[in-house]
Amino acid sequence: MREWLTRVPPPVVALALSVVLFFVAGAVQPGFFNLDQAVNIVRLAAFLGIIAAGQTLVIIAGGEGIDLSVANVVTLGAILTFMVSGGASERLLLGVVVALAVGAVIGLVNGLGIVGLSIPPLVMTLGMAGVVKGTILAVTQGNIPGGVPPLLARVVTGRLFGVPGILFIWLLFALAMWFVLERTTYGKRLFAVGVNRRTAHLSGVNVPATVVLTYTLSGLLAALGGVLLLGFTQRVFLSLGDSYLFPSIAAVVVGGTVLAGGRGSYYGTMAGALVLTMAESLLRAMRMGEAYQLIVFGLILVALLAVYGRQRETA
Amino acid sequence: MSPPLLSATGVAKRYGAVRALVDGAIEVHAGEVVALLGANGSGKSTLGRVITGITKPDAGTLAIEGVVTHVSSPTRARRLGVAAVYQELSLVPDLTVAENVFLGNEPTRLGGVDHRHLTRVTAELLALFEGVFTVPVTPLTVVQRLPPSERQLVEIVKALSRKPRVLILDEATASLGGRQVDRLFQLVGTWRDRGMGLVFISHRMDEIFRVADRAVVLRDGATVGQLQLRGTVERRAAEQKLVELMTGGGEVGALFLDEARPQTPAAAEHGAAGQALSLRGFASGPLAPLDLDVAPGELVGLGGLQGQGQERLLLALFGALPHRGSMSLGGEQVDLRNPRQALRAGVAYVPGDRNREGLLPVRPILENLLLPSWRRYGTPLRMRAARHDAAGVATELNVRYSGLDANVATLSGGNAQKIVIGKWLLRRPRLLLLNDPTKGIDVEAKEEFYSLLAQLQADGTTVLFTSSDDAELLGLCQRVLVLQDGKVTAELSGATLDRNHLVAASLGAR
Amino acid sequence: MLAEARPARGERFRNLTFLVPLLILGVAVLLNYLLQPNLFQPRVLNGNFRVMLPLMVLAAGQAIVIISGGIDLSVGAVVSLVNVLLVTFVKADSGWSAVLLGLAIGVAAGAAAGALNGLCVAYLRLQPIVTTYATSFLFSGIALAILPRPGGALPRALTTFYRSAPLGVPAAALGIVVLIVTWWALRRTRFAQHLYGVGGDAAAARASGVAVAWTRFSSYVVMGVFAAFSAAMLTLSTGSGNARLGDAMTLSSIVAVVLGGTRLAGGAGGITGAVIGVAILTIIRNLITFANVPTWYQTLIDATIILAALAAPGALRRIRGRA
Repeated sequence: MREWLTRVPPPVVALALSVVLFFVAGAVQPGFFNLDQAVNIVRLAAFLGIIAAGQTLVIIAGGEGIDLSVANVVTLGAILTFMVSGGASERLLLGVVVALAVGAVIGLVNGLGIVGLSIPPLVMTLGMAGVVKGTILAVTQGNIPGGVPPLLARVVTGRLFGVPGILFIWLLFALAMWFVLERTTYGKRLFAVGVNRRTAHLSGVNVPATVVLTYTLSGLLAALGGVLLLGFTQRVFLSLGDSYLFPSIAAVVVGGTVLAGGRGSYYGTMAGALVLTMAESLLRAMRMGEAYQLIVFGLILVALLAVYGRQRETA
Repeated sequence: MSPPLLSATGVAKRYGAVRALVDGAIEVHAGEVVALLGANGSGKSTLGRVITGITKPDAGTLAIEGVVTHVSSPTRARRLGVAAVYQELSLVPDLTVAENVFLGNEPTRLGGVDHRHLTRVTAELLALFEGVFTVPVTPLTVVQRLPPSERQLVEIVKALSRKPRVLILDEATASLGGRQVDRLFQLVGTWRDRGMGLVFISHRMDEIFRVADRAVVLRDGATVGQLQLRGTVERRAAEQKLVELMTGGGEVGALFLDEARPQTPAAAEHGAAGQALSLRGFASGPLAPLDLDVAPGELVGLGGLQGQGQERLLLALFGALPHRGSMSLGGEQVDLRNPRQALRAGVAYVPGDRNREGLLPVRPILENLLLPSWRRYGTPLRMRAARHDAAGVATELNVRYSGLDANVATLSGGNAQKIVIGKWLLRRPRLLLLNDPTKGIDVEAKEEFYSLLAQLQADGTTVLFTSSDDAELLGLCQRVLVLQDGKVTAELSGATLDRNHLVAASLGAR
Repeated sequence: MLAEARPARGERFRNLTFLVPLLILGVAVLLNYLLQPNLFQPRVLNGNFRVMLPLMVLAAGQAIVIISGGIDLSVGAVVSLVNVLLVTFVKADSGWSAVLLGLAIGVAAGAAAGALNGLCVAYLRLQPIVTTYATSFLFSGIALAILPRPGGALPRALTTFYRSAPLGVPAAALGIVVLIVTWWALRRTRFAQHLYGVGGDAAAARASGVAVAWTRFSSYVVMGVFAAFSAAMLTLSTGSGNARLGDAMTLSSIVAVVLGGTRLAGGAGGITGAVIGVAILTIIRNLITFANVPTWYQTLIDATIILAALAAPGALRRIRGRA
C-alpha cells in the first residue's frame, strides 16, 4: 500500500487528502459542507501558498536550504505598504515597490551570508528573522501610522464571477512560478544546484550566484505575500506573519519537494498549502479546544511526513 | 586436510532486473592468497560483499571452517573473523586515526573508552607501514589531514585491528603509491605464512601475479574456473588462460595484453602558432611549472601512478582549480578562472567520479545532457529545439535509453558515462579533458568510446586524458606525459611508448 | 622505531572548538562589568546563574543531538510539558516522596518525548527539522491539555533552596558544575565516540559496525532527559507551571549551541561550547539592559549582535583563507 502511495505524485495525494478532509469536516459539522466554505478554504490556502513560494525555491536549491525569516518579512512587507501608501490607492504602487525592494534586500543579505560567509541557512535566516523583527519594532515603536489602500482590499477580497480576487492572483502566480521553474535557464540551474553543487559547478553553472538569487527571490516573494495579506486582514499588527512560518515549510515538504533539494514543484506546494489549511479548518470546525487542535495537527503532520518525508539516502 | 577457512558456494544475488551473481563460489584455505578476477559486471565485487556481510544473498551457502553460517551483517562477519578493505573508506574525517581504527570496536575500561589502549595498539599497527608514509601519520592525527593513499592504509590497519582470520582486499591498492604497495605485499606474505587466508580482488594482472597463490575467475555472475599461480607456471600462458576464462574464450579484448590495438589518427603538424593548447610555466598547487604544446587533433595521455597530479592538471586547465602561468588556446591567451569561462572558451572536462561530479542523479536525461547549454535556448526555453538537440547527441553516441524524460539513474554505467560525455559534445569543444573516462565501464562500452575518440580526433578536437589503465594509454595516445609527484618525469612517444618505459617512468626509475 | 604517538602541533586542540567562544565570553563579561560594576557581587552573580542554568542544560541536550547530525525543534515544548507535569504532581504541601515521584514522572515524560522524536528520525528516517517541529505541536497540545491555565505551586523549601548557596556556592552554579562534570563522564563513553562518528560520516560509521539508528535514537532520548532536567530547574526558578513556558527556549538553545562553536552539520563540538554559548547570550541581554538602550531598539541590537556572532566563524575563515 505504501509503495503505491509513494509512486503517486505527492501533490495529487495532498489534493485528494484535502478533498477527503473536506468531506469529513462536512460530516462532523453540517453547514460546513457548502461551496462558500470550500472557496473560503482555498482563499486562506492562497496566502499560505504565495508565502510558501519563496520557501519552495530555497528548498529546491538544496544545501539544507531553508528560510526562517519568511514570517517577519511578510509582516514587514505589510507594514511598509501600510505606511508608505498611507491608505491612498494612488500610492499603492509605491508602497508595493518599496515592500518588494526591502524584501529583496533582506533576501540578498541572507544569500550573501549563506554563500559568502558559509553560514548555514538555518542559522543565517534565523538570525535575520530576529534583525527584521527588531527593525520593525525600532521603526514603528509600537505605533503604525498608515492605512490600507481601498484598491488593494478590492483586488484581494473583491469577487469576479463570485470568485475572490486572491484566487485569480494565486493562479497567475502559479503560472509565473511554473514558468520560472520549467522554462527559464535559472530554473534549470536551480534544480541542478539542488541535486549536486559540484556537478553544477563543473558544468559551468554559477552556483553562488544562483543561490544568492534564490534567497533574494524568497525575500521578495515573502514581502509580496505580506502585501496581499494586508489586503485581506486590512489591519497590521506585529505578529501578522508569525503563523505562516512553519506551515510554509510543511506545505513545501508535504507537496513533495524533498528537503535535500533538487526535486519539487510549485503545484506541490499549492496542494500542500491546501491540505494544511484544510486540516486547520477541520480542527476548528470540530470545536476542539486549542490543546486538542495542537495535538491533532502535530499527529497529522507526522503521519504525512511518514508517508512522504522519508529520507532517500542509505546512510 | 582441514576445511577451508572460508567457503562460499552457489551464491546468487539479483538487484531488480539485474542478476549480479548467478552461481558464485570461492574457497580460501589458511595460509593462501586467492585472487578473485573478473571483468566489470562479472560479480566479483558482489561476491566480496556477500562474504563480508554487507550484502545479503538470495541464495547460496557460506561456511567458516566447515561450519555453515549466516553472515548477516558486517559486524557478524567481523566476529566470525572475516574483515575487508574496500576502496570506499569507512573513515570519519573529524576523528583521529586511532578513533577511526577502533570505531565500533572501542576497548573499554571502567565504563569508558580506554584511550591509552586504543592509541598504543594503533601505534603498533601503524608501525607496520613505517617508512612508506608520505606524510606523518600518528594515532592522534585527524584523518581529514591525510591524503587518499594514507587513508587507505589506515583502512587496512583498521581491518587488521580486528585480528581477522580471513582478510579481503577489494581493489585496495588503487590509491596506494608504489612503495606502499610493495610494503603491503610484503606484509601479505607474512600474514599468509602465519596462517591467514586472503582474498585479493583486483584487475591489475601484475599485482595478482606478485601476490596470489591461486586465481579464481568470475564471468557473468558465475565462477568459471581457477588457476594455480604459484609453482612452475609460465606467466604468459597463465595470463592468456585467465583472460580466456574472463572473456569466455571469445574475442580477446585489449584489456590485459601488452600490445593494445593502436588508434593512430592522421598525423598532426607541430607548427609553432597553430597549437591547440600551449602552456608556459603552468603550475597549480603541488604541480610543478609545466611547458607543453599540443597540436590540434592530438590525443595526449597523462600517465603515472594514481594521484601524482594528473587530475589536478586537468582541473586547473578547466579553471576549476587556481593556477598560475600562461595558457593559450588556438594561439590566443586565455585566463580561465572558473568552469564557466572554460566552457565559453571551448574547453570541456569529463570527471572521473561520474556520479558525484558528472551527473545529476535524480534529474531526467534531458536535463543532464543540456545542463551547460540552456542559455542557448532563450527565455522562454525553446523546449522542442532542446529536446531535438539532446536526442541527436544521444543517438550519435548510441545511448541505450528509454526516453529523454527517464531518470538518469536508470542507465547502466556505460550509458551513463555516454551522457556525461554527450553533455559536452553538444558544445563541440575544441579541447576535451578526460579524467579516467572508462573506469568501471564494460568492454563493449569501452570499444564504443575508443571509436568515439578516434572520430573526435578526426574532427580536430584536441584531447588530453588520464587513465588508470596503462594499456589504454599506450594503445590510444601518440604521446604520454608521465607524472610523478606533480612533475613530468618523462614524455613517451614512438619508440619509447611501451609498457616498460611507462612503468619505469611512473616509478621514477631510469 | 614505532610511529610517534605524540600529536602534531595544533592537533591537541582540535576538539576544543569552544576556545574562540570562550574568548568572546571573556570580552562580553568585561563589558558587562564595566556597565554593571556590581556584576560579581554574590546576589547578582547568583541571579545570573539561576537564569542561565535551565537554558544551559537544554542547550547541552541540543548539542548532543546536533553532534550526532540531527536537530530538535521540540525541546521548548518538552520543557513546557515536563513543567506542567511537575506542578501537577508536586503541590505546595508535598513531601519528599511526592517530589521525587514528580521528578521521576517528569524525566520519564522527557525520555518518552525524546523516544518519539528518535523513533521518527532514526527509524522512520523522517527529516529532523520538520518532524521535531511537528512533534512540538503534539507536546504543546498535551501540555495545554494538562494545564490549560498557568498555575500551581511548589513547596517553599525547594524554591528557597534554589536561591540559596549551600556550602557558600550558589545552588545554580553547583548545577552548572554538575552539568559539566556529567559531560566529561559522558564524553569518555563508547556512546560518545559513536555520536561523533555518526555525525561525522554516518555511512562510514555504519560500515564500521556502529549501530547508527540506535545512536541517533539514543541522542534524542538523552535530549529528552536533559529537557526534563532543564524544566525541573526552570520550575524551581519560577515556582509555578505554564504550558507556554518553554516556547522561546527552542531557538535560543540552537543559537547557543552554534555560538559555542559546534557545527550544525554534526561530528564536532561539545557541551562546553553550548554552556559558553548560553552565557554569551545572557551577558548580551544584560549588556543591552545596562547600556540603557531604549526599549524599542533592544530587540534590534540583540538580534544584530547575535547575527554578528553567528557570522563570525565564517567571516574569520574567509579572512584567514585570503591571508
